Amino acid sequence: MSRVADMAPTVGRADGGRLGFLALGLGYLLLIAVCLWSLAASGDLSGGRNPLANLQKTFAEFASPSFLDLWFGNPRLEYRSDDGSLLRVEDRRSVEAAFLGELAQASWTTFRIATLGSLLGALLGLPLALLTARNLGAPRAAAWLAKAVLDGMRSIHTLVFGLVLVGIVGLGPSAGILAIALHSSGTYGKLFAESIESLDMAAIDAVCGVGASPLQVFFNAVWPSVLPQFVSSHLYVWEFNIRDSTILGIVGAGGLGLLISEATALFQWGRLSTILLVVVLLVASFDALSRRIRQELQ
Amino acid sequence: MNSSVAIAAAAGNHGSPVIELRGVRCTAGGRTLLAIDSLAITAGERVAIVGHNGAGKSTLLKLLSGFVTRGDGVVSVLGQRLPPPSATDLRTLRRDVGQVMQGLHLVARLSALDNVLVGCLGRVGGWRSWTRCFAADEVAAARQALHAVGLGDRCATRADRLSGGERQKVAIARLLLQRPRLILADEPTAALDPAAAGEVCALLANAAGADAGVTLLSVVHSPALLPQLCERVIGLAHGRIAFDLPLAAVGDDELARLYHAPALPRPLPAADATAAVPTGAAAAAGMAPGS
Repeated sequence: MSRVADMAPTVGRADGGRLGFLALGLGYLLLIAVCLWSLAASGDLSGGRNPLANLQKTFAEFASPSFLDLWFGNPRLEYRSDDGSLLRVEDRRSVEAAFLGELAQASWTTFRIATLGSLLGALLGLPLALLTARNLGAPRAAAWLAKAVLDGMRSIHTLVFGLVLVGIVGLGPSAGILAIALHSSGTYGKLFAESIESLDMAAIDAVCGVGASPLQVFFNAVWPSVLPQFVSSHLYVWEFNIRDSTILGIVGAGGLGLLISEATALFQWGRLSTILLVVVLLVASFDALSRRIRQELQ
Repeated sequence: MNSSVAIAAAAGNHGSPVIELRGVRCTAGGRTLLAIDSLAITAGERVAIVGHNGAGKSTLLKLLSGFVTRGDGVVSVLGQRLPPPSATDLRTLRRDVGQVMQGLHLVARLSALDNVLVGCLGRVGGWRSWTRCFAADEVAAARQALHAVGLGDRCATRADRLSGGERQKVAIARLLLQRPRLILADEPTAALDPAAAGEVCALLANAAGADAGVTLLSVVHSPALLPQLCERVIGLAHGRIAFDLPLAAVGDDELARLYHAPALPRPLPAADATAAVPTGAAAAAGMAPGS
């Protein structure tokens, strides 16, 4: 009897765990049901008037990206009024060439925004990381404040920063750079602090142990351990920022986003398709490059 | 206290002691880590400290290298009272104190050669030490040190790519380049296989000795390594000196008694401590009886 009594609490706890998980699962299902039901009840779950035909049309236009006009475009596209009189003649090829030039310019702007914004974000994040890294023993109030700032920066989206900053510094890339910098400083601070916390303090003690000065300890033990991780984090966030900065132009902060918002506003899916191809190319090639460098740094 | 007389006698015979402890008490959380009434070690001596886990061996070494600063009493290393009055004094002292620590304390991302060159930071200052562009003679000396520990062909290998035994040898090469007057080795053979442990002990013992005037104080667990490492053995139990004997006088009985010391700290009878110190040779070697 006593052995059964001994076992009872363990069994109860295991059952409790399973029951808790079941309750959690049921709660989640209930949440999904409420979301679906409430949206459906207010009639907000419609697929539009003609979703299938629209999908087909959009897909067809996406499948023929506008850059193909460079070779296959009509060199003499005639615009006529209803009575048949010729309004004007357009060379689709030269129009597309002009658009591609604009696209290249915008891509370059996006890349510059991401690059400068990342550097500024890293510079902003580093001192905050030094304050939050637990093994550096910064004053607790300062550490707490720095952590709050980092969390705040990270939780506000780049677009929101962009909207606010366009109001402050005006339209253009400088708003984009600052928006990228402010949002990513939160990410940088967190990643840098983690690198600092993973420092091998015993190795640092060993270098202190030969009578090295603080500067010597920094350059011979701290810097070589932390630098590769910093570079790795920097490349990672930089790559992320290239993706982020492609949409910043939507709020007027310069770069590819402006072209995206123009193309979507005019339903020019062919152009959007070209723009997205460039975005994918840009991000993928930078990703490949940064992955290569980060592997080398291991 | 007759200990000061003993120290004075030892000092008279062998110059001033390299390490001198008087009335040292270290406590942490109400527990006594170290309670040494008197201890003196003179230049060129090779001394091993033995004792069970938590006996205060590592605390003693950390105290001597300035990583533990709390506690009462007089601690003096190479003529410098600890804790030193300023950070500069501590650094000056540490240049002369070489440490081989428990575990593998190398900068993982630096090459073996760069890790050895850390040893010369105490005497090389300025931009060369910040950019790790050391003078050619220091680099040559570092290569030679690596060669001496048998790792001449591993100069460019990163420390985290070396095996445990190789890392410990790199730490010893760093020590050789540092050219210290006192070597503190905290379980230098922990995590090494018996062959590597023997090699490491031989390297350490060669670096120290009466001829070079370099003192070696090491913490070891394996009695088999004692003959290689020391001429004098100090047994610690519960932070107190249980015996302080020349190597030849340390038998299995002493070690067995030490490692089976009762768990509750109790002051050792004074008679035991004094009886454990033989006269003659031991006194000439500069020993101080534990009060």
